[in-house]
Amino acid sequence: MGKAMSAVERTPDHFARLIWADGRAEQVTLGATGRSGGAGEIFSVDGKPGFVAKIYHAATPAAHLARYRHKIQWMIEHRPELPQVPAEYRDIVQLAWPEALILRRSRFVGFLMQKIAFDRTFELDYLLNRRQAAEEGFDADYGKLVTVAFNLASLISCLHARGIAIVDLKPMNVKVYKAELYVSILDCDGFHIDTEEFRSEAPQVTPEYLAPEFHEKAVGHPESQDAFALAAIIFRLLNYGIHPFTGVASDPRNSPTELAGRIKHGLYPYGRIASKKVRKVPASVHEAFPEPLRELFDRAFASSGYSRPAAHEWVEALKAYASKQSGGISPCEKGHLRFSGRPCPTCMRDALIQGAEVRRRSFLARVQTAPARTLKYVQRTLRQTHSSPFQAALAQAQLIQLQLAPPAPISTRNAIALEILWIGGLLITWWWTR
Amino acid sequence: MSPVTATVLWTVALLIAWLWRPRQAATPSGWILLGAFAALGAGALWFGLYAPEGEPAGLGFWKPTILYWTLAAIMIVVPWLGGGYPAKIILGTYFALSNRQWRWINRGLAAVCVIFGGVNLWVAHQSSLKDWEGFKYSLMIFLLVIVLFRLNFVWLPILADVCIYFYRRASAAYRYLSSRL
Repeated sequence: MGKAMSAVERTPDHFARLIWADGRAEQVTLGATGRSGGAGEIFSVDGKPGFVAKIYHAATPAAHLARYRHKIQWMIEHRPELPQVPAEYRDIVQLAWPEALILRRSRFVGFLMQKIAFDRTFELDYLLNRRQAAEEGFDADYGKLVTVAFNLASLISCLHARGIAIVDLKPMNVKVYKAELYVSILDCDGFHIDTEEFRSEAPQVTPEYLAPEFHEKAVGHPESQDAFALAAIIFRLLNYGIHPFTGVASDPRNSPTELAGRIKHGLYPYGRIASKKVRKVPASVHEAFPEPLRELFDRAFASSGYSRPAAHEWVEALKAYASKQSGGISPCEKGHLRFSGRPCPTCMRDALIQGAEVRRRSFLARVQTAPARTLKYVQRTLRQTHSSPFQAALAQAQLIQLQLAPPAPISTRNAIALEILWIGGLLITWWWTR
Repeated sequence: MSPVTATVLWTVALLIAWLWRPRQAATPSGWILLGAFAALGAGALWFGLYAPEGEPAGLGFWKPTILYWTLAAIMIVVPWLGGGYPAKIILGTYFALSNRQWRWINRGLAAVCVIFGGVNLWVAHQSSLKDWEGFKYSLMIFLLVIVLFRLNFVWLPILADVCIYFYRRASAAYRYLSSRL
């Protein structure tokens, strides 16, 4: 589709007018990129390589478009202050924030936003799986992960300070700069805004990141929802992608199996006082987290929404580990980065996986060689050629002590009658134990 | 299998067992085991074949425990009352052992049954349904061992006796027919 809509074949629909924040108008030509989402499609803008246009789908009702225009207009005029970045990283886009309205035939159709360099970034989702991150050329370690978590918390804290909440915060909506470790949040036009002069709802949510108090009801406190989703993302970042409500149900008949149900019922198995209904995933390394972070996780997942840590609390807690000078992160004996004074999570994870792998291989090898070993043992017992004195003694003892009972002094008919009862007994036992 | 077919099968089997029963006196432990299995068998037939609403909802988790603890109770109480060792009825066909050895084997089997019954309840309430199913099937290895012992020490000799019996009858018939021709 992208090729089909090249510059040569452009129709009048690809000509649009930009209206900047200062009221200046500018004529531009849009080019298809082939990327689209639930609400609209992304276009390149000729002559503006640093920007892209989001054009709402043609089927969007006029009433929705009117609401979007009102919201985008406010957002263009009220760009929030974002966390400071060093001068050499000025080109980093932390928010795909609307920069200009886009009109087509004097009708609002979308907005212009800064382009996020896709070659320098990847989805946060990739960081939750070390193999995927490595395939993207990113060597994840705890120093980098904590820095990403800190930058995300800082960005959300800045937004909350301006009365803006993300609500549908999830790893897929967050991009990470591979080299700089700053994050970028997409789909800004879906944010919840609650200021004195303007208010806009955000109905879109993702159940796996939705706080328990908002399941099956509207999100009443968007900042609290963001705090929950932020804590879930940080937990997953630090715990090899394990969701805080993933675990093994102790009683699957009475426990929900899907994440949304477990969140709703507060079945958090990684707390310092863990849920008894769901057990932790064996590969979890949450015990290697420092106490301040564990306390924050407990407040986020194991207590009510009122005590859930806000984004600025995460900023304060993670600051100690995101800065190299603070010494909060230090190398272990094998050179992996870990939280100072805590066990190394990478070594823990390697040991868990290697231990499981060694046990699996050992078990398979024993199963595979069991018939041959049994045959050899029987042959040696019969020939009395055991090389091991222990096995020889064992075989001797078996032959000496286990003397067979003499044949029962009963007729074959009597024996058959007894065996009928025996088989009946076996069938009864089978029924009661199956 | 329909309830009618099953009824015919177990009735015929019991009838044969009654007609061909040994006339020697049985030990008290033998009678008690027989009575216990008759009660358990009646329960199995009722809930498995005839009960209009099938098994009660909560019975499934308790079934193995009921069986193991019944066996354990018999193995603990019967020797205490001087009724002999039930373990001897279960294993006595194969091995010749002293009374002291039977006493310890009986105690061991009783302990195993107590533990199995308790562990079944624990696994049923603490683990997933899949794990509990796996646990129950792993316990059935003991049934398999008993079947293998029985096959080797009892059923094969009986089969050999039956084959020899029919071989002799066939030989006699052959000789009779040969002499008439």
